[in-house]
Amino acid sequence: MSTPILRLDGLSASYGQIAALHEATIEVRADEAVALLGANGAGKSTTMKTIMGLLKPVAGRIEFDGRDLSGVATFRRARLGIAYCPEGRRVFPGMTVRENLEVASNTDGAGTHRRVAALFEMFPVLAQREKALGWQLSGGQQQMLAIGRALMSAPRLLLLDEPSLGLSPLLTNEVLDRVRAIVGGGTAILLAEQNVGKALAVCHRAYVLQVGRVVRQGAAAELARSDDIRAAFLGA
Amino acid sequence: MLTLQLLANGLALGAAYALCALGFVLVLNATGAVNFTQGDMVMAGGFAAIATAAMLAPLWPGAVPGLVVLPVVTAGMAVLGVIFSLFAYFPLKSRPPVATIISTIALGIVFQNAANAIWGPEPRAAPPLLDASLVRFGELAIPKQSLAVIVVAAALIAGQHLLFSRTPLGRKMRATAQDRTMAAAIGIDVNAMIALTFALATALAGAAGALLSNTFFVTPSDGTNYIVKAYIAVTIGGWGSIAGAVAGALLIALFEVIFPALPLIVPALFGSDALGWLFSQTAASILLYAVVLAILFFRPQGLFGELVQRRA
Repeated sequence: MSTPILRLDGLSASYGQIAALHEATIEVRADEAVALLGANGAGKSTTMKTIMGLLKPVAGRIEFDGRDLSGVATFRRARLGIAYCPEGRRVFPGMTVRENLEVASNTDGAGTHRRVAALFEMFPVLAQREKALGWQLSGGQQQMLAIGRALMSAPRLLLLDEPSLGLSPLLTNEVLDRVRAIVGGGTAILLAEQNVGKALAVCHRAYVLQVGRVVRQGAAAELARSDDIRAAFLGA
Repeated sequence: MLTLQLLANGLALGAAYALCALGFVLVLNATGAVNFTQGDMVMAGGFAAIATAAMLAPLWPGAVPGLVVLPVVTAGMAVLGVIFSLFAYFPLKSRPPVATIISTIALGIVFQNAANAIWGPEPRAAPPLLDASLVRFGELAIPKQSLAVIVVAAALIAGQHLLFSRTPLGRKMRATAQDRTMAAAIGIDVNAMIALTFALATALAGAAGALLSNTFFVTPSDGTNYIVKAYIAVTIGGWGSIAGAVAGALLIALFEVIFPALPLIVPALFGSDALGWLFSQTAASILLYAVVLAILFFRPQGLFGELVQRRA
């Protein structure tokens, strides 16, 4: 089993006076996909934003690849190898599909060309809409573009926040089915997802958040079989 | 013949207005705030051209051509743009945009008073780009300066377009303008891109000042006129639209030059002197503002507004 690439140690964060995350301790290893499960307001997106440096923690520590990220600016975290695919996609609306991908590349022209080609292979619909502007894409296409853009820097960790939000079940499956392939390509994933059944099916391990606290953790297969998880999230 | 000459003058004026409006919209998109100093940067570019010509005079046999002065002024103004951003934008970037708007107004007043203290209130002229002669096409005679201004401004606008559409740096600047948070999240140094945007915007304004100050002279209070024109150009062209800002600037300048001359262009229609007041510069200004109000009322996205939307 590999060493953790990401370690959150007693991490707390808040929006002004409103606490959103309480002393969360979470680990992601380099060769795994880890799910963050929980209802709306459980602290999943807050965890992602804090890891990315978009929200300042009030306590605790974030380590990436053994390095303390305290005081490290968001763009430097991205350059260290953390990619962020936010809730709501947020593709660049006035740039084409190809430009959205190319702008996120951290390599030279030939390398960028190769990565775009690989992503077009992973998401063929993006190749078909290569010259369309970001705002012209459907929700599912935007989600694939947002994931593709995050992968353009060949990151070591991908923070994937609610990729199924607003997508049909069919498109949700299409997007989440890529998770194992991405991990196989050398990128660990931290997936925040409300579609618990699907998230547990594609991830190796999971943490369950409730009102900003980690209340459960374990192997995804174990959690999927657990009665309380099934009752709380899977309607069983 | 007169129409063509006026058209050339209008295009030259419009090209310079376009440089100012282009810089205005670049900063607007990158920061979300209106930079009211952009007009004063045009004024500063005019005086910088005069000062640079005076400095280079001992090194240059004969009169220093504006074409030599222009690159020096543009580079110097780019540096001034970065310094300006360090005072006017970065200390206030986490505040609401109105804080930046007020700081740019305040610094504009500082610039105007500094120019007044250094150069005085009298109008001054920078050297022409090449010389003050006329270019003749048959009976048509157009000042070489007007043609040179059109060519140089067109080259600068084309250069900006190529930078933004064809280079990785330009794409990063566009990404920053469209979503600063996501730009940072993909590894772009957003502060560096915004500082570069200020540099580019101020360089374009400085170039406009250097180009305009030969034909139209420069005084310390000129900035107000230019910022109003830039604001109108961006309103007409579509708030946030780069192409719209250029088109809006050209339309304003052509209107300013051609409208007052209509009785001369088509005397048969406006033969009576009684209508002379209608075609004065004052009436042209009133009409221009009335058209802007009408556009704001009937087409608030501007004539060429970008229909950028977000899907849910």
